[in-house]
Amino acid sequence: MSTVTSSGFNVAQWWKRSRKTILPPLLGIGGFLLFWQLSASLGFTKLSGPLSLWTEERTRELLLYPFFDRGGLDKGLFLHTMSSLSRVAMGYTLAAVVGIGVGIAVGLNQALNRAFDPLFQFLRMVAPLAWVPIALVMFQQNQPAAIFVIFITSIWPILINTAEGVRQIPQDYRNVALVLQMSRKRFFTKILIPSALPYIFTGLRISIGLAWLAIIAAEIVMPGTPGIGFFIWDANQNGYVSDIVLGVIWIGAIGLILDRLMAWLQTRIATGR
Amino acid sequence: MTTLVAVQDVAKDFPLKGGGNYLALKGIDLEIRKGEFVSLIGHSGCGKSTLLNMIAGLDRPTGGTVLLEGESVKRPGPDKMVVFQNYSLLPWLTVRENIALAVDEVMPDLARSERDAVVEEHIAMVGLAHAAEKPPLQLSGGMRQRVAIARALAIKPKLLLLDEPFGALDALTRGNLQEKLMQICNEHELTAVMVTHDVDEAVLLSDRIVMLTNGPGSKIGGILEVDIPRPRQRLTVVHHPSYYSLRSEIIYFLNRQKRVKQWQAKPHKVLARHGLEKVNLDLGFIPLAACAPMAVAEAKGLFAKHGLDGVQLVRETSWRGITDGLLDGTLDAALMPSGMPTWMTAGGHGGEPTPVVTALTLSRNGNGITLASRLAEQGVRSVADYRDYLLRTNREPHTLGIVHPASMHNVLLRYWLASNAIDPDRDVHLQTLPPAQMLADLKDGSIDGYCVGEPWNVRAERERHGFPIVGDLEIWSGHPGKVLGAREDWALAYPNTHIALTKALLEACRYCADPAHWNELSLLLSDRRYLGMKPELIRFGVAAGCCDDTEAAPHTLFFGPGVNRPSRSEHLWILTQLARWSEIPFPRNYVEILERVCSVGVYSTAARELGFDDVSYQRGGIALFDGVPFNADDPIGYLNQLSIHKDFSIAEIPIGVPAPITNAAS
Repeated sequence: MSTVTSSGFNVAQWWKRSRKTILPPLLGIGGFLLFWQLSASLGFTKLSGPLSLWTEERTRELLLYPFFDRGGLDKGLFLHTMSSLSRVAMGYTLAAVVGIGVGIAVGLNQALNRAFDPLFQFLRMVAPLAWVPIALVMFQQNQPAAIFVIFITSIWPILINTAEGVRQIPQDYRNVALVLQMSRKRFFTKILIPSALPYIFTGLRISIGLAWLAIIAAEIVMPGTPGIGFFIWDANQNGYVSDIVLGVIWIGAIGLILDRLMAWLQTRIATGR
Repeated sequence: MTTLVAVQDVAKDFPLKGGGNYLALKGIDLEIRKGEFVSLIGHSGCGKSTLLNMIAGLDRPTGGTVLLEGESVKRPGPDKMVVFQNYSLLPWLTVRENIALAVDEVMPDLARSERDAVVEEHIAMVGLAHAAEKPPLQLSGGMRQRVAIARALAIKPKLLLLDEPFGALDALTRGNLQEKLMQICNEHELTAVMVTHDVDEAVLLSDRIVMLTNGPGSKIGGILEVDIPRPRQRLTVVHHPSYYSLRSEIIYFLNRQKRVKQWQAKPHKVLARHGLEKVNLDLGFIPLAACAPMAVAEAKGLFAKHGLDGVQLVRETSWRGITDGLLDGTLDAALMPSGMPTWMTAGGHGGEPTPVVTALTLSRNGNGITLASRLAEQGVRSVADYRDYLLRTNREPHTLGIVHPASMHNVLLRYWLASNAIDPDRDVHLQTLPPAQMLADLKDGSIDGYCVGEPWNVRAERERHGFPIVGDLEIWSGHPGKVLGAREDWALAYPNTHIALTKALLEACRYCADPAHWNELSLLLSDRRYLGMKPELIRFGVAAGCCDDTEAAPHTLFFGPGVNRPSRSEHLWILTQLARWSEIPFPRNYVEILERVCSVGVYSTAARELGFDDVSYQRGGIALFDGVPFNADDPIGYLNQLSIHKDFSIAEIPIGVPAPITNAAS
């Protein structure tokens, strides 16, 4: 680890160093927003421009007061997000537990792998939205159905990556376990899990994005419960176009944060190796 | 010492993807004693790692058994710990945790504190106390391998197995680690088996070196005992007299394996054309002035002229390569020392007696005995001076180089020494060296002198490392030098090819014998394909001022009356000499052997067809410098009358009935 220069922060130098990494994204995003605003102002599209998020009173209020709760479904964006996230948390946790468990079993057992791999590959291709009607029929209730949709969408990358991680345990590590005559349990905790961990985390990271995608889909199709998906659906029903834009931006931001979070966790795990 | 590991008739085959089996190893027998360090060496793919894995129990043999202390090895275990080539440290654990993992696993009965003490002791043993808390990825390759060794030793295995432990390290680190490993092995009297492809590493570390042949069906090609005393030091080991001979033995073995592999890689269908049974021949030679007829036959298209349009000359570095090439069939025929046909026929090479025939003597003379210049500085001028010198310094080892036990050099040198009252086995030590190595050894003082063919005598004199003490003309002028040799079964299978080959070479011999061609010959032989040295060093006449009485005569005879015809009495004389020095027992059936070795018929046919009738008659008798008469009718009486000889034996040599090779075997 190199030491950071302590003698004062030199803005000019910092700029010189990071210009190349900061300028292009700023220009890109700025250009995109400008284009969007212009096309909205000039009437090329009915979609309201980014500035409308602030100029329109409804969205400004939503931006400024994310925590309000007027009862029922009339809540601030943060509260909507929290209920969506709690659903994601449940479905995703379930997916992680089942995915890692089954992944290990499949990774260790060639026969199991042969038996189920085609099924997994097939199921993983089914879009989240397609699961919604099936989930509703299965559970008859919105909440468990939504959790199931998240679960079934996000399990595959975890499962497949875990299985791959187990299969990829280097023969050397297996040989070490063999030569030391490790018990099965010790092999599990001392070699299998640590060795497959990077793969598992890759799966978890891909899955968190999928889970977040799935919740929006589930909530839009299953209205009546608070959540960011419902928020957009509601805005659509009422014709609040800038609300929809706000919702979309919010979803993107949360997804980005979740992904970054997992990425950070992943690097934390990886540096421990 | 008791046997720790016994590998008994082990074989291993792997199923191939496309069906069928790949036989990696077969018939491996090896006993490893307690406290011994054994290396397995061979080319990649020879199955040495497979063998190690089977000893480790990581792999099961498909035939035979591996016993550790008398019990069959069925699965891996900590009593036979492996140090893997790529270290196999767990990257998510620190150095200490890696070692502790093994100790905890293997010694669960010890108290926590005792286990910690074991871990710390072994970290300190490999000098890694400062890095104990680091994960392996932050360490250099050498440090990681030290951790792996520490981990292996910490669990006190009965047997330490090392799979190319230092293969991935730089030379300096490797050297340090080798010393460290040696030291640890000495201190703890470890038994170890190491797979390596590094010849120096094997010699430095091992008590025995097991050389494996190429797959498929690799087997043990030889086991070398390393008699260098311990403790060994890298820098002093290289000065031990055995070091270079062991080293060259291994390198010879590995090169031989490589050559066989290359040979096997090419198609070897017998091509019959022009009324000849086989026209694609691999002919062996070693770089000496006497290989001139072969070079000429190739360069002048004489092989093709006689129908042999697929001849390849194969350059070997030692006569041993020629012997092995004939034995394993990679050579069809070869240039060989004149003693080699009878020597191989009598089983002198240590295997089954293998009848070898010669139809043509390619050269006569061309040899000499050279002594080192430092002996001249001590006043050695004549053989009497040399005898005095040996008496004066009889405490020191006196080594003379010869090229092969069956070469004329060995026989003539011994004869000359013995006739001058120097016992070639007691007063001096004769060592077999490849001709090209002689000069280097003379230069660095590891030998006192040598008897070898040109150009090595001329070169020693030119470069002032040695001086000629006696020329072969003074010992036996006109002695046979090199002959054309082929296996009897080969010659019987391809009789017309044998005649064509003899014709081509006999014609080449005539070309070589003409002094007008000598400059051209020197230039031809200086090519890298043959000798690869300056043309002025390759001489066929006598250097002026060396041997005054013979100056005008050509030194090496290639052609002339009685020069080329294989002579039974000469080969008989050689047989007596080989028996005299116990290279072979004297064959009771010597008449049969000579009859079969000397293909006089092939020679006569070849000479007649070339119109060289005048060269067919018999040469005069055998006349050596000391005037002891040789009676070809009573070889045993002759042997008994020679004053200095070893306790020779007389035995019937079973050589079977003459039979051609079957095409399936070729």
